[in-house]
Amino acid sequence: MRLTSSAITIAVLGLGFTAIAQQQGPAEGQPPSTAPSAPSSNQPQVDESALRYFASQGDTRRVNAEIARLRALYPNWTPPSDLSQLSAGAVAADPIIERLWNLYKEDRVAEVRAAIAERQSSDPNWKPPDELVTALDTVEARRRLVNASDSGQWRTVLTVATENPNLLTCMNVDVLWRVAEAFAKTGQPDRTRDVYTYLLTNCANPGERLATLQKALALLPDNQVADLLQFERKTGDEPDNFDSIRGELARRRVERAANDETMTASAEDLATVDRLIRSSDEPGPVLVLAWYNYHHGNPARALELFKTALDRNGGGKAAEGYAMSLRALERLVEAEAFAYDWRDRAPANMKIYLDVATALLAQDPPPRLEARIVSRIVPVVASQRFPDGAQAIGWYSYNTGQYQRAREWFRQALKWRADDEPSAYGLALSAQQLNDRANFNAIVAQWRDRSERIADLAAGATPRASRQRVSQGQLLQPADREPQVSVRSVSVRTEAPRAFVERSTVEAEPRLRRGGHRTCVMTRNSKGLAPDTALTLGWCLMEADRPMEAVDAFDQAIRRGSARTREEAAYGKSLAYLRKNLTAEAAVAAAQTPQTGGRRIELSASILGQRALAAYRDGRYVEAILALSERARIVPEQTDLMLIRGWSYYRLGRYDDAEKIFRAVQRTGSSKEAGVGLNAVMEARYPTRQ
Amino acid sequence: MRNFARRGSTLLPWLLAGLLAAAPAATPSWGLAVQPLNVVGTLPSAEWEAYRSRFVEDNGRVVDNANGNISHSEGQGYGLLLALAANDRVTFEKIWTFIFTELLIRDDGLVAWKWDPAARPRVTDSNNATDGDILIAYALAKAATAWKEPRYAAAAQKLARAIGKNTFGRIGGSVFLLPGAEGFNEGERPDGPVVNLSYWVFEAFPVLAGLAPEYKWNSVWREGVGLLQQATSGRIRLPADWISIQRRMQTKPADGFPPEFGYNSLRIPLYLLRAGMTDLEWLRALRQRWSAGNEGVAVVNVVTGNIRERLTDQGYTILSAALACALDGTPVPEGLKTFQPQLYYPSTLYLMTKSWLGEKHPQCV
Repeated sequence: MRLTSSAITIAVLGLGFTAIAQQQGPAEGQPPSTAPSAPSSNQPQVDESALRYFASQGDTRRVNAEIARLRALYPNWTPPSDLSQLSAGAVAADPIIERLWNLYKEDRVAEVRAAIAERQSSDPNWKPPDELVTALDTVEARRRLVNASDSGQWRTVLTVATENPNLLTCMNVDVLWRVAEAFAKTGQPDRTRDVYTYLLTNCANPGERLATLQKALALLPDNQVADLLQFERKTGDEPDNFDSIRGELARRRVERAANDETMTASAEDLATVDRLIRSSDEPGPVLVLAWYNYHHGNPARALELFKTALDRNGGGKAAEGYAMSLRALERLVEAEAFAYDWRDRAPANMKIYLDVATALLAQDPPPRLEARIVSRIVPVVASQRFPDGAQAIGWYSYNTGQYQRAREWFRQALKWRADDEPSAYGLALSAQQLNDRANFNAIVAQWRDRSERIADLAAGATPRASRQRVSQGQLLQPADREPQVSVRSVSVRTEAPRAFVERSTVEAEPRLRRGGHRTCVMTRNSKGLAPDTALTLGWCLMEADRPMEAVDAFDQAIRRGSARTREEAAYGKSLAYLRKNLTAEAAVAAAQTPQTGGRRIELSASILGQRALAAYRDGRYVEAILALSERARIVPEQTDLMLIRGWSYYRLGRYDDAEKIFRAVQRTGSSKEAGVGLNAVMEARYPTRQ
Repeated sequence: MRNFARRGSTLLPWLLAGLLAAAPAATPSWGLAVQPLNVVGTLPSAEWEAYRSRFVEDNGRVVDNANGNISHSEGQGYGLLLALAANDRVTFEKIWTFIFTELLIRDDGLVAWKWDPAARPRVTDSNNATDGDILIAYALAKAATAWKEPRYAAAAQKLARAIGKNTFGRIGGSVFLLPGAEGFNEGERPDGPVVNLSYWVFEAFPVLAGLAPEYKWNSVWREGVGLLQQATSGRIRLPADWISIQRRMQTKPADGFPPEFGYNSLRIPLYLLRAGMTDLEWLRALRQRWSAGNEGVAVVNVVTGNIRERLTDQGYTILSAALACALDGTPVPEGLKTFQPQLYYPSTLYLMTKSWLGEKHPQCV
C-alpha cells in the first residue's frame, strides 16, 4: 500500500481553516499556520509504542495504518526499516498499556477512556501514552465526523475536520469525501474541488480515485468535474480509467442540448452517448439521444430511439416522446392510437394524448376518421375539461356539417376558457349556419369589440355569405363521411386590413406563393409541427388575417427550419407584425434571419413607412421626417407619404419646405390633398388675412 | 425526552379533584429557592450496580428497554447524573464518550435526542430535547468539580452556551425554555410556542448560569415557576405534559398531544424537591392527591379529571413517598426501600429520587 504524503493533510487543513474561519469568525479557529508548521519546526520525539505493539501482535494492517498516521504527523520521520526487529520485548512494561491498546484495537473506545479515567482516579500522576491519546482522539473524531455527516450536520463535519487534521489523509478517504461534501453543502464548492484535487494528486487507490470523481459528479458543476479528469494516471502499476466519468459528462451535455433547441451537441458527445446506448440495456441514454433528435429537427430518428427506449422499459417518458415524434411526423392517426393506450400513465402522457387528438381532429380538410376514434376522444376531452380539445371537436363537427354538435362543443370550450376567441368565432359561425339568431347576436354582442372577424361576420360581408351557403349542402353529413371543402375558408380576408403602406406588396407575396391553398390547420399550438408545415400554416394564417397566430407558426419554422425556410419564415413574421402595426417587432423579426436583397428592401421600406406614420400620429414630427428620409434612400417616396412629410414640415413651422412638398404632390395629380396643405401653409404665413 | 410509551398498571380509586385555589405567585430568586445538591456519593453502589448492569452497555449507551432499546439524550443525561451519584467515574466516562461521539453532532452544539440501534443512520431524529441537554450539561459541570476534570468543564460550558443560545424562546416580555431548537416556537406550529414544564430541571439552572452567564437563566427559571402556577390553577390542578403558551395567562394543552398529566409531568415534583423548592403550594395539593387514601400516582386527563392509568411501579410510587417525606417527614414505606429495576424510566426515577433522599432526607430511608 502506498502511503500518503503529509501534503494533503496540510493543504486540506489550510482549506478547512479558511472555511471554518468564514463560518465562525476568526476567534474560534486556530491560525492556519500553526498546525502545518508545528511538526517540522521542532523535531519531536516520535512515540512508536503503538507501532511496536501492533508489530509484536503481527497485526500488519494496523502497523501500516500507524506508519501512515505517524508519517502524516511527522513528515520527516521514517519508519523502522525492519519490522521484525520490533520484538515483543520492546513493548512497554506497564501492563495497563497493553490492555488499553488491546481495547483500542477492538474499537472499544469508551472502555479505553473509562480505564484511563479509572487509573487516573487512583493515581492522579499517571498519564496514558501520548500516542494512545492521539489515537483515541482520532478515532472519536472520525466517529463524530461520520455521524455528523450522516445526519447532515455539515458545520460539525468541518469543525471536527479542522480540529483533527490528522484525519485528513489518504488512509481516511471516506473522511475526505465527507469533508468535501460538507464544503459543497455549506456553499463552498471551490473547497470541495480543492479536496478532490488533493485527493487525486496524493492518494493512490484506483478504486477510490474513480469513486472520488463519481462523488464529484454529484456535487460539482460539470466543468469542474471535467477539470479533475486531468489527474487521470495513465501509467504505473494501477492506471486509472475515468472513461465512465467522461461518458457521463458527455451524456449530460447531450441531455442539456436535448432540452434546448439553441444548443448543439458535439459529434463526439453524440457518438459517446451512442456507445453508452450500445454498451448497456438501460433506457436512460437512449431517451437522452431521442429527445435530442426530437428537439433538433429529426423526429424520424427520435421515433426509432423512443421505440428502443420503450423496448427497454423506458416507461411513460419514452411513450410521451414516441407520441410526440409521431405527431411531429404528422402521423396523427398512429399517434392518437398509441397515446390513447398510455394516457393514464402520467399527467404528461395525458397531455400529449389530448394534444395529438386535438391535432388529429383539427386537420383541415378534416380527415376521414372512424367513428370509434372520435367517440373515444370525446369522453377524454370531456373528463379532462380540455378547451382546445373541445374547440377541435367543434371544428371537426362544423367541417363535417354537424352544426348543432359544433355549437355545443364551441360553447363547452368557452365554458372552460372564456377568452377563447376561435371558439367564439366557431360558435358564431355555427349559430349562423343553424339560423340561430339569438345565439349569434349574443356572441356578436359579446365579442365584436375583441374580434374583428366576429364583427365582420355580423356586418355580413357578402363574399363570405355566399361561400357559407356552398357548404350548407353538407349540413346533415355524418361525421365519418368524407368531408367537403372546409367552411373555415370563409375566414380568409379578401380585403387587406390596416397595412397602410405598401399594402399591395405585403399582401401579394403570400398569395403568389401559396396559390390556391386557403385553409389552415386548426391547431392552436404550432409547436411540434415540421418546419415546412409550420411555414405553410403561417402563410395560411396570414391569408386568413390572423397575423398573431401566424407569428407563432413562423416562429416554429424559424426554430427548426433550413436556412431557406428560416428566411422565408422571418419574412412572413415581419409581414405579420406589420399587419398588426407592430413596427418595432417587425424590424426585429426582419433582422432575425438575413433576407435576400429584394425582400430586405421591401421589408425595410414597409417598416420605415410605418415608423414614420406612427411618429406622425404621436406628434413626433422630426422622427417622422427622419424615417421618411431614410426610406426615401431605398425606394421612391409615394404620394401619401409625401403628404405626411409635408404636414410634418408644416407642424414644425418649416413652411417653405412644406410648401415645396405640397407643390410637388400637386404636380403628381393629387391636387385636392395638396391644395389643403398649401392653404394651410398660406393661413399660417398670413394669419391676419381675412 | 419525548412521548415514549411508559408502562404501568392501576391501583387506587379516584376520589377528589383539586382542592385549593391558585397560590399567590411567588417570585423567589434562586439564591433563596434552589438549594444546591452534592449528588456525589449519594447512591448506594449496590443499587447503582443493579441499574448499570441492566441499562448501561459497555460502550456507554443507556438503553430504554421499554421503547425498542433506543437511547436518548435524556437517558444519557440521567445516566451521567446517577453515575456521579454513585461516584462511578468509569461508567460516567463511558456514557459521556457515547454522547460525545454519537449524539453531540449538531451544528448548533446541542445533543441529537434519539438514537436507534436498528436504524441507519442511528440518529433517527437530529432535533434536540432540551431536558436531555440540560441534564448532560449539569452532570458534566458537577462531575468536573467533583473529579477535577477540565474536559468535562469545557464540554459543560460549551453545551450550556448552546442551550442558552438556541433553546431560550421569547414571548412578550418573558423568556422560556423551548422543548427543542426546532418545531415548538411561535410560528413553527399554529399553537406555538409550546413548552413542557418537566423540561425545567430547576436544580441545574444556577449551575448552568455560572457557566454561561450571558444568557437569562434566572428569567427562564422564574418563568418555569410562573407557568407551572398558571397551568395548575384550573379545577383539576394538574398541568398537561405539553402546553401551549400562546396566551401566557391562559395556557392550554397543546394540539396533537393528549391533554394529560402524564409520564413527563411526573418529574415536575421530583425536580422541585431536588431543587429544594418545597414552598410551592401546588406540591401540597399534589401530596394529597397522591396519598394512599386518594387516587395515587396516575396519568390524569387535565380537562376531565379522569384517570387513564394508575402507576404502581416503585419508580412512580416513590415519588409520592418522597413528597410525603419532604413535606411531612413521613418515612418511605419498607416495600419501596429495595430496588427492583425492570424498566428504564421508572428505575431511573427511582434512583433519582433515592439519590436525593439519601442526600437530603436520610432519616426517611
